[in-house]
Amino acid sequence: MSTTEPYAPLVAQLFAELPGAGRPAGPGWACGEAREPLSGTWVRVYLQAAAGRVAACRYEVRGCPHTVAALGLLATRLAGQAVAGLDVDPAALARELGAPAAKLGRIFVIQDALRSAALQLNVGCP
Amino acid sequence: MSEPFIYLDYAATTPPDPQVRAAMDECLAAAPGNASSSHVGGRAARERVEAARAEVAALVEAPPEAIVFTSGATEADNLAILGAARGNAARGRHLVSVRTEHRAVLDPLARLAREGFRTTLLTPGRDGLVDPAAVGRACEPGTTLVSVMLVNNEIGVLQDIAAIAAECRRHGALLHVDAAQAAGRVPFTVRGLDADLVSLAAHKIHGPVGVGALYVRREPRPTLVPLSFGGGQEAGLRPGTLPVHQIVGMGTAYALARAALAAEPARLAALRERLWSALRSLPGVHLNGHPTQRAPHILNVSVDGVDGEALLFALGSVALSAGSACNSGHGEPSYVLRALGRDDVLAQASLRFSFGRPTTEAEIDLAAQRVRAAVLRLRALAPA
Repeated sequence: MSTTEPYAPLVAQLFAELPGAGRPAGPGWACGEAREPLSGTWVRVYLQAAAGRVAACRYEVRGCPHTVAALGLLATRLAGQAVAGLDVDPAALARELGAPAAKLGRIFVIQDALRSAALQLNVGCP
Repeated sequence: MSEPFIYLDYAATTPPDPQVRAAMDECLAAAPGNASSSHVGGRAARERVEAARAEVAALVEAPPEAIVFTSGATEADNLAILGAARGNAARGRHLVSVRTEHRAVLDPLARLAREGFRTTLLTPGRDGLVDPAAVGRACEPGTTLVSVMLVNNEIGVLQDIAAIAAECRRHGALLHVDAAQAAGRVPFTVRGLDADLVSLAAHKIHGPVGVGALYVRREPRPTLVPLSFGGGQEAGLRPGTLPVHQIVGMGTAYALARAALAAEPARLAALRERLWSALRSLPGVHLNGHPTQRAPHILNVSVDGVDGEALLFALGSVALSAGSACNSGHGEPSYVLRALGRDDVLAQASLRFSFGRPTTEAEIDLAAQRVRAAVLRLRALAPA
């Protein structure tokens, strides 16, 4: 990333492709939601599990390109992970995407939504 | 295949007109001469400077000797505000301005606060306009200077400067007007404004970056303390060797702007309305600023239900300005939009489109299509 490019190529790619974006159809999804009012960031994470592992992850988001990209990355990586102790390292995610330190708060919104979704697994989305 | 690039950020800067570049090239290729020197090269340089000064003055119908060249409108604002406040400190130490002024005005005022001056900053209405009567009410016996911009650089609203000037006269205060966004886009004269000091830029109307001017009324001439010293050029107000090629570029740009002034504002206004008509068909798109009392080349809108930074990124091949510089992570919303009462989230989700001489209807239509597509795509990510 050059010093004048605001986003890493990975962010641009994920923002363009939006892997896993959208509200899932059908039953069997748990969801968690979090927001950060100052920036207006809003995240909803949907998880589907089978045999104690994440089968699929979807999301809805209103947020900056780093937030959108972080969710795309998450959606591609969560499948297969154990539901027990499911979590994400916001700092590592931010580093991987080249997000400035001041954006870390927005990545924490994703973590909050993910944790909430993990708790809701098997309860179902309202 | 990548999308064609569309430049709609002419309020930030404009490309120099080919005639401006040619005039500057010719000047740079000419025999050397300091415009303060008395030899033939110096006299030729001086003639070029004075011809350019006459062109700048002609656009705003000022006497040429009232034009002081500076490095740009920012320096002109600084010279006007710091110079007038300090030069008239014996009469009073109170200043009046508006929250939506450019930083080139607000920051010198903040600097003066550290020198013991007081500033009353007026809040405009939700339409961005300042009530002239409010200016009068803010003036005190010790008010020496009022500074109000003619065209707001973010939202494009056009202030009623003549009415504000009347209030200033009534209270014995000088009036400074930042006209950086107005010159060449809005027909006006310094006599019509009745201002004492008017800041002008070159690069906003297809001139070069690095040169501007301050109009300083001749009769009565306001007392100004210069910001720098040495050489006595520009009536001692802006000393230093004159950048002749820059000044020639500004003069050429102002001559071209004057020639286009009969038709160009109407053409730009039509482009602005064309874009607004296309954007307003999307639900949740709000116009910022007064709907009619505005300059023709700026359109500022806020968009519900999207993140401003994401919207700007999604519009990658359309060059425009946003309501905040979010990638720093601070996401500080535009102070101008906040002063108009927009909430932080909506202020961040704002776009400023601005148009210039090269802008075409086809570009406007393409930009509208891309904005529409980007908004719908982002809204689909976060259904209401």
